Amino acid sequence: MKIRAFFLHSRVLCCLCFFLSTALGLPAVQGMLIQYLPNRGEAGDWIREGEPQHFEGEALYEYIDGGAEIYHEYGFKRVTVQDFVNRTGKSVSVEVFEMTNSESAYGIFTFKTHKAGRKVSIGADAQLADYYLNFWKGNILVTLTGFDETSETRDGLLLLAQVIDTKLDLSGKRPWIVSYLPRENFMSQSVKYFKGILGLRNSHPFFVLNIWGFEEGAKADYAKGYSVFIFRFKDSDRSFGQYGQLKKRSAEHPEYKVHKTANKEIFTALDNRERRFFVSIHRASIFLVLGDIDHIQALEIFQKIQEEIGD
Amino acid sequence: MDNKIGRREFFKKSAQIGFSTALGFGFVSLTEGRVSLSGDESVDICVATGSDYHATTLKTVECLGGMKKFVPQDAKVALLPNSQSRHPGTFTKPEVVRAVIEMCNKAGAKEVNCLTWLKREYWEDSGLAAAVDEAGATMRFIEPEEANFKSVPVPGWKAMKEVMIMKEFYNNDVFIDMPIIKDHAGNKFTGTQKNLMGLNFRTNNRLFHRQDWQTNPESVEYLDQCIVDLNKVVKPTLCVVDATEFITTNGPFGPGELAKPQKIVAGVDRVAIDAYCTTLWGMKGEDIYMIKLGSEQGLGEIDLNKVKIKEIKA
Repeated sequence: MKIRAFFLHSRVLCCLCFFLSTALGLPAVQGMLIQYLPNRGEAGDWIREGEPQHFEGEALYEYIDGGAEIYHEYGFKRVTVQDFVNRTGKSVSVEVFEMTNSESAYGIFTFKTHKAGRKVSIGADAQLADYYLNFWKGNILVTLTGFDETSETRDGLLLLAQVIDTKLDLSGKRPWIVSYLPRENFMSQSVKYFKGILGLRNSHPFFVLNIWGFEEGAKADYAKGYSVFIFRFKDSDRSFGQYGQLKKRSAEHPEYKVHKTANKEIFTALDNRERRFFVSIHRASIFLVLGDIDHIQALEIFQKIQEEIGD
Repeated sequence: MDNKIGRREFFKKSAQIGFSTALGFGFVSLTEGRVSLSGDESVDICVATGSDYHATTLKTVECLGGMKKFVPQDAKVALLPNSQSRHPGTFTKPEVVRAVIEMCNKAGAKEVNCLTWLKREYWEDSGLAAAVDEAGATMRFIEPEEANFKSVPVPGWKAMKEVMIMKEFYNNDVFIDMPIIKDHAGNKFTGTQKNLMGLNFRTNNRLFHRQDWQTNPESVEYLDQCIVDLNKVVKPTLCVVDATEFITTNGPFGPGELAKPQKIVAGVDRVAIDAYCTTLWGMKGEDIYMIKLGSEQGLGEIDLNKVKIKEIKA
């Protein structure tokens, strides 16, 4: 009965949105995102200022010139942008991004957040920084940006985000691969989820270790000074192919020093900045540990990830 | 074009104040990256630090010998600030632009033009349009239509055979590149070199991104090579870089984590300036492929041990 009631509720909501947006002269999809924005009186003295802007698909380049690619890498559908002002003249810009699915929304959320941000309880995950707030829920990412770092602006960000959250009747799960990252010394706000090489390269400049062709990847920083990466490939042919390439490129690089290990499924090297990294392969996955860590600790980490992934 | 000063007269004036012209482009430019100061002193990059960004900008250019070294009497000056987004730390600050315009006018510039093919809203929202207007320069909004851009072959190209530079650009005698440094999804860093995409036709810029860039790392590197090729066509007379407050994550649009070194960096050598600026957020020039390629292909010096940097407090 509950399931039937849920579908009935969703259908009624969709029809209502379509009707309202058509009546207002807006394409249905734009109306869908506007419905999540706070109306007058719903978020204290914060009210909408000016007209909302909408960008769909490739038109995102008109809004984010030179920076739209990363949204498309994760899977972008459309965005609605609306400014809000309060009585004292403070201003907040709200961007509601509809992504392809919840993994896309989570991915771009991790791309846009930073380990120094403060976790707050809004949506599925939310992070408040000095002058902006990001949260995701279902296939939606919401970015709220203030234009100063005052407590009044930050309070406004939180209030507006909370109201939007109540309007988002959506749910979605984090990608499984993120749960394979070891939890010991784990810096939870540092997690990144990758769907392509732009996100990966922005997280770490792998000139030699160009890892590509993966289906998805995840990364986290650890309090002891190292980072762990996990990449999942479509099949083990591809993962072994990439592993072989990584090993070859590292060995051929004049400034890298590759050290032999007893296990052919693990190699270790020093990069051109004397940073140690370890790479391991397990079926269709490649694991990489980078930073201040010794051989034994790296092996323990690889072991833990393998246990989590299982067969 | 009528009010453009005669080339002979212009070059004569340029020569009098110690300049030569960049081959083929008609812009006043230094023969080498290093700027001669009084006596035997010379410098590649001047860096001033201070919380008053207008005053800091004035000090930085003063440290290089003053704007007269770069802007001859009656020159028409093109400025290229970055106004990509209104989020904090993503656009060249209006105080910095205002200071540069004031210095150009004081040096005797005939006109100062701020060039862009972006929409007016970008400039109004960031406060840059008002700053340009108040300081006595002109905003030149170029419609992003092919007819307003000129195809220019790239000498020694590796990825882009030709680029499409806005025609209006060539109505000027001096070019001042004025980026804000910041994070960039893909390149990781944007500074003096990448900023030149603001002169290039948007459709041509899109060609910098290959179809398979999402799956092929060589295509990300292709973007870097295209930017370096673009820089072979346009050489700034001077770079005045906003490194006061900038985003180090989620670039180029933001919002992102803000670094606040409160610095203005000026000089002629784009590669050296970009390499220096990467150090402001814990990187090295070699970490950024575009800077590495720029150095390898003769655009400037990446090794900061070979670069004369003068740091001052504003």
